[in-house]
Amino acid sequence: MPQPRALENIRVVDFSWVRAGPWATRWLGALGAEIIKIEWPENERGRLPSSTTPQGMEVNLNTSGNFNDTNVNKKSLSLNVRSPKGLEIIKRLIAVSDIVIENFSSRVLQKWGLGYEELCKIKPDIVYVSMSGYGHTGRNHPYTTFGPVAQAVSGLTYQSGLPGQPPAGWGWSYMDDTGGMYGAMCALTGLYHRNKTGKGQHIDQSQMVSSVPLNGPALLDFTVNGRGTNRPGFPPGNRAHWPGTPLVNNYRGPTVAPHNAYRTHPGGYNDWCVIVCHADAEWQALAAVMGNPAWATDPKFATVSGRLAHQEELDTKIEAWTMTLGKYELTDRCQQSGVRAMPVQSAEDRVEHDPQLRHRGMYQPMPHPALGTHKVQNAPFVLSETPAYNHSPSPMIGQHTGEIIEGLLGYSHDDLRAGFEDGTFWPEERPRFAYQQEMLR
Amino acid sequence: MIGPLAGLRILELADEKGQFCGKLLGDLGADVIKIEPPGGEPCRGVGPFLDDIPHPDRSLSFWYYNTSKRGITLNLETAEGQALFRRLADTADVVLETFRPGFMASVGLGYETLRKTNPGLILCALTPFGQTGPWRDFLSSDLLHMAAGGEMASCGYDEADVPNAPPIAPGGGNAWHMGCHYAYMAIMAALVHRTVTAEGQYIDVSIHEACALTTESAIANYVYRGETLRRQTGRHHAPAPTPRTQFRAKDGVYVTALISGGLNPRNVRSLADLMEPFGMAADLRDPKYADPAVVAGSTSHIIDGVLADFIASLPAEEVYHAGQARGFTWGAVRAPEDLLDDPHLHDRNFWKMVEHPELGRSFIYPGEAALYNGSPWEISRRAPLVGEHNVSIYRDEFGLADGALTILRESGVI
Repeated sequence: MPQPRALENIRVVDFSWVRAGPWATRWLGALGAEIIKIEWPENERGRLPSSTTPQGMEVNLNTSGNFNDTNVNKKSLSLNVRSPKGLEIIKRLIAVSDIVIENFSSRVLQKWGLGYEELCKIKPDIVYVSMSGYGHTGRNHPYTTFGPVAQAVSGLTYQSGLPGQPPAGWGWSYMDDTGGMYGAMCALTGLYHRNKTGKGQHIDQSQMVSSVPLNGPALLDFTVNGRGTNRPGFPPGNRAHWPGTPLVNNYRGPTVAPHNAYRTHPGGYNDWCVIVCHADAEWQALAAVMGNPAWATDPKFATVSGRLAHQEELDTKIEAWTMTLGKYELTDRCQQSGVRAMPVQSAEDRVEHDPQLRHRGMYQPMPHPALGTHKVQNAPFVLSETPAYNHSPSPMIGQHTGEIIEGLLGYSHDDLRAGFEDGTFWPEERPRFAYQQEMLR
Repeated sequence: MIGPLAGLRILELADEKGQFCGKLLGDLGADVIKIEPPGGEPCRGVGPFLDDIPHPDRSLSFWYYNTSKRGITLNLETAEGQALFRRLADTADVVLETFRPGFMASVGLGYETLRKTNPGLILCALTPFGQTGPWRDFLSSDLLHMAAGGEMASCGYDEADVPNAPPIAPGGGNAWHMGCHYAYMAIMAALVHRTVTAEGQYIDVSIHEACALTTESAIANYVYRGETLRRQTGRHHAPAPTPRTQFRAKDGVYVTALISGGLNPRNVRSLADLMEPFGMAADLRDPKYADPAVVAGSTSHIIDGVLADFIASLPAEEVYHAGQARGFTWGAVRAPEDLLDDPHLHDRNFWKMVEHPELGRSFIYPGEAALYNGSPWEISRRAPLVGEHNVSIYRDEFGLADGALTILRESGVI
């Protein structure tokens, strides 16, 4: 008897594409909702272009590795929503669904005749989550975003880097990951509210606006104290404070030293560790792990004020020690003595070398009909009664069209065939995949 | 209208790791009671402080992450404190705790104990590495999570910009945000499930796993292609160098200017349309750019030359809006404080005035990540002062006499 799912019997009409929206619905799927991904191969963004197709494999709509990881736990319905027949079908689907979610720009669904008011006519208690770049209201609502642009405009990018250098920013679309989290959070919150009150609603989530509350303490330092971040020593790299600049908090926790990244043996691209001492006792523990070298017993390093005042020398001397050890051995030695240290981990490190992630089963193999068997990222939480887990690989495009059209919506097999002939379920001129031919037999 | 989580009671036993999750729940209408050790939660000691005067009630970090909560003090390591907590837990829908694994059970407040008298209770334990595994007792910090989670391996500089640069951990405490977003999601899933079954459950959330999940395609690049990604200034990690996307504008502010899908004849024309009114189109009207091969061979000239020169000729905000108006997905790299002047945020009533009655002042706070059109988000109160609601909870709700409160205070229970 499988365990029950938190979102048992919840159906989601998922118009989302690229990354942020699909990352949201991936988790609703892992929690047990039925996710029906609406796709159209002529304007698909997410499967293609693919830079994660295994070497030697043909790049096509079904061979993106990143798409697979981002879209596990979903079904795919290929449907031309911009045809009258397609619109009619999607309305029948919405009528038997709980949530509609999309991450188009702000007026797309309205233009299709599927704005919130229209959705309510079809399903009065629908929970509609729009995940646009700037939201559906406000003067810049037509603007578009990618993660890096939302990060730039919202102040996130500015808080990453070394002082006096250009912003280092975020090396990926943090706000596609996090925007996706907010999409899922909004859907779950709307669903909870609906279950309690019987009322649906439109939740207007914006990638750019969702980024701004992630800068809270920096913003309050400005609105309360009048101190902006455009100042010497900010951002302070990996440190809590940059030497030679005014002693102020830089919004990553307490202002302490050591608090930095250090090279480790054998000095490769990702051979780095980080070490942080929050209290003098932690510093003394670090000194002991280092073997209490003479320099570390110098009274100038005994207090946090002294370590901040002599941070350059402190960091140089710590690094001379860290370079003698591998990053995992260093981590173990430090942590076993109560010193905060961790390795900088690449993707390979996380998948292959991280003993904690291995113990927790973070990466589990999942077979995919075109890609073969590869590891897929698991949920970061264990729910004791309704565990979240990946139950199916990403769908091949249109893989579930037959079962949804005939099985769920009650159309006939002839209707399915006709829809393939007239371009409702697949472009007439476009070659079909074998599984689609099979579906039509 | 009231928030979507109105009617829920959350007990928050959280430090820097989980306080943002409590705020997310409280700002959406839940009654969040923050339970702090007598004297206050240690992260009240984290700056910056109001007027730079350190005090447990003046931490702006604490202010921000603890809006819409009530606050009481309680010593869970005393028998009376444990009895009071069990009473509180009987009134709660959710307990959110960030203690080291095993602590709650060690003081007789483990989930199995609490659920006996409240079977609908959801207990969410949010910890650095989860409740199990070889690292479960390891210490952490924001920087440590950004290292182990993979964030740092993806962020940094081109060698040409900053030689020998370290991997960079983006600032702002985002490891805690990542953990709290997933904790919120797990709690809401359990709450939805409970609306159907009335059954509570125990949730074990790992911040390390949340961070390890938040590097976009890095895992897929490794799993499917064996690639290790390189750090690049202000743009995506990549297996091989890609054209830069961050340019310095006339006012010294940077602009993120990506060309979606890479350069092609069509978007070279669009660039010319954008730059021509400013007299900065250079040679982009040359018919040779109708040839995709010529465009491809001119990437450096167009990006590092023409586009960089155009951006250098204007203030960053002007580039941002002019580009967006022409359909380019561009943005100015703003400092957080610049957001206060953003008209779009004002149109959405993003900024909120929050009253601090004890100071006789009100301050501007950031608002909601999303507009809940049927059940609005709201900061219902500023962060609690230390023990501010001891009287309303212990006396008014639980009926303890004033004399009993005094004894509990004097004996270090509250």
